Amino acid sequence: MRVRSTLGALTSIAVACAVWEGFARSGFVAPALAPSLEAIGAAFVRMVLSGTLLRHTLYTLYRVLFGFVLAGAVGVPIGILMGRFRRVERFFGPLVSVLMPIPSLAWVPVFILWFGLGNAATIALVFYAATFPVIVNTWTGVRSVNRLWIRSAEAMGADERALFHKVVLPGALPFVIAGLRQSFARAWIAVVGGEMIAATSWGLGWVIFDSKEFLRTDVMMASLAAIGMIGLAFERLVFGTFERRTVGRWGMVKAVRG
Amino acid sequence: MRRALVPFAEAAFPFVVVGILWQAFALFGPFPPKLFPQVQTIFAAFIRLTASGILPVHALSTILRLILGFLIGAVAGVAFGIAMGRYRLAENLLLPIISLGNPIPGLAYAPLFVIWFGLGNVPAVLLVGFASAFPIVLNTWTGVKAIKEIWIRAAESLGARDRQLFWKIVLPGALPYILTGLRIGVARAWRVLVAVEMLTSVRLGLGWLIFGAREFLNTDVMLAGIAVIGIVGLALEKLVFQKLEALTVVRWGMMEQ
Repeated sequence: MRVRSTLGALTSIAVACAVWEGFARSGFVAPALAPSLEAIGAAFVRMVLSGTLLRHTLYTLYRVLFGFVLAGAVGVPIGILMGRFRRVERFFGPLVSVLMPIPSLAWVPVFILWFGLGNAATIALVFYAATFPVIVNTWTGVRSVNRLWIRSAEAMGADERALFHKVVLPGALPFVIAGLRQSFARAWIAVVGGEMIAATSWGLGWVIFDSKEFLRTDVMMASLAAIGMIGLAFERLVFGTFERRTVGRWGMVKAVRG
Repeated sequence: MRRALVPFAEAAFPFVVVGILWQAFALFGPFPPKLFPQVQTIFAAFIRLTASGILPVHALSTILRLILGFLIGAVAGVAFGIAMGRYRLAENLLLPIISLGNPIPGLAYAPLFVIWFGLGNVPAVLLVGFASAFPIVLNTWTGVKAIKEIWIRAAESLGARDRQLFWKIVLPGALPYILTGLRIGVARAWRVLVAVEMLTSVRLGLGWLIFGAREFLNTDVMLAGIAVIGIVGLALEKLVFQKLEALTVVRWGMMEQ
């Protein structure tokens, strides 16, 4: 079954490649606008070998992880407090629902003015983008912890602290992980967009935007591929593994996709 | 009278606190007032720009672009999603490509779209459609797959033809998922649109307004623009989609509010 689905995926990608190649070589558009797969592959290999791709990736990862960890460190506690205490919920609830629909990238010009061009503005942007999904999901998770579990723990004499560590936190974890996942996806979007606008000199978003100036479509496509692969790797490997090791193993989530 | 006031005051309280903090930071913080304007300055800019018609015009052109782009994304997304859910070949062919394309931020394609379609409205609208199509395809596909086999068999044994099967069973059955997909799609479209307006230099639009205001250090205009973006986003979520859900799937008893 697994082999078959891999085979199917490969066929599909091969078909897509063939269509692209036909389009690129048909002469409808200039080769500078739609480079052939060979050119994209060559650009990719060249960038890997010269180390520039690695350096761009490291810069981007540094920014995204810094902002993302900060968002988790702020968002999870706020979400837990909102789920546990009515007052906190009443205070932060309206703020979150007003701030969340504002696209993080709308803040870029403001952040550039406040923090200057470069790392600080991009990290602030990632932080803004990633915090709200964490808060909302953690909050929902804490509220949806089975009342019966809390009551039975209390009946067995659990104090506030044990209740929190043994029941509330593990009970809310599937939601927290879902929130972190969602917020990483948003952070990834924000970092690429932020790098394009808050121009620095390194970063995957920056290199795509910069290659536009020189019509280096092959470099753009190669960097796009890198962005897609890293995003997919985080989604599948990091979060997928974490989910399997914790809530999947505890039997709280049934279908954990690999 | 008092009863009506209490929840209002409760909802307003956090904003008042944030306003006071903002004001204190503007007055005593490290930033010069040009970079971190006081609350009344932002408010005045908001009123001034609304009265002179600048904000409404920008907001309107952004919303028009959103509607156009989202329509493209929604039609393409639902069509592909249903095809993938119903036909094995379409599923095998498209699913891997779409799951690869989904995690790539839509905005990353912006420079490519600019090279292909030039500056202005065309790449902005197309990119919005492109970015919003992914979650719509995936949700529609899941929805079609999640339709109970027994409904289809029951309809077939009652003599439903292919067309009736589609209109009476498949489409309504998949609708809760499709609506979720459209909701995620419109949120994505909104995010991409604001950013892409900064990059493709459209003539009118909220993203462009904010980005242009930076050149002149008009922080108050930028923050007023952000406020409008937030209001429109909130309105999309609360008014449009919750209504749509209440009128369809909740009413049919397929989903709880």
